[in-house]
Amino acid sequence: MGAPSRHILYHMVQCSSALDSTFAAVADPTRRGILEHLGRRDASISELAETFAMTLTGMKKHVAVLEHTSLVTTKKEGRVRTCRIGPRMFEREAAWIASFQQMIDDRFDRLEALLERTTDE
Amino acid sequence: MTATTIRATITTPTDREIHIERIVNAPRDRIWRAYAEPALLSQWWGRGNQLDIERMEFTRGGHWRYVEHGPNGIAGFEGRYREVTPPDRFVRSFEWDGMPAHVAIEFVTLTGMGDGRTRITIVMQMHTTAERDGFLHSGMQQGMDASFSELDRLLAADCV
Repeated sequence: MGAPSRHILYHMVQCSSALDSTFAAVADPTRRGILEHLGRRDASISELAETFAMTLTGMKKHVAVLEHTSLVTTKKEGRVRTCRIGPRMFEREAAWIASFQQMIDDRFDRLEALLERTTDE
Repeated sequence: MTATTIRATITTPTDREIHIERIVNAPRDRIWRAYAEPALLSQWWGRGNQLDIERMEFTRGGHWRYVEHGPNGIAGFEGRYREVTPPDRFVRSFEWDGMPAHVAIEFVTLTGMGDGRTRITIVMQMHTTAERDGFLHSGMQQGMDASFSELDRLLAADCV
């Protein structure tokens, strides 16, 4: 293990409780469904309850778990509480895309280098 | 890191797709060969890592399997060709050993741009959003060295 790995390990230990609650939040299939739904569009608690065939109380509990880990944010306007995807979800996807991008760029850079080397074939 | 790198465009147009586009400075037929011929493919697909092309039956129904030997371990990829239409399109199933039996369908299209360059378009379709995220996450697993800073940032974000 190199220095970067130790650094990550340090973070993992330091952040373990936050990680635990995040993993617990997304371990539930209904909550993953809620994240997927909110990824497409914002929704009120009652809309979510209807979509997932659940009581308002049950849905409030799920949303509270997601809100606690910043995967979802909510805002009360009048009698309606609107849920939207939280900043953490965007960060996660952005970080994944950035690393995926690095992999793809490395691959095509190699392709281009190969084609330059073999240009006179 | 090179300052002049032409970057690929990577988007997630739907919750079950990854769309990749990159313009490469070479004509279409040469890029097709770089995909079709194992001796060429092994020189670039592994991004500088040793790449064993264990199977390469580049025809409809044929199997393919690549094994990449990276600094942090071995990663295998495999699938079967669904369509092979030289010199500009092939479609194949794509499975990463890290997510066994989660199969994506990969559409690769080469489009000549009329100026000696070629646009490579890759669309990866998955069955579920979880699978798509898993494939995106595979970039972290495979590109570990390049991605340590990303992973650090991700983990640091968990401390908020």
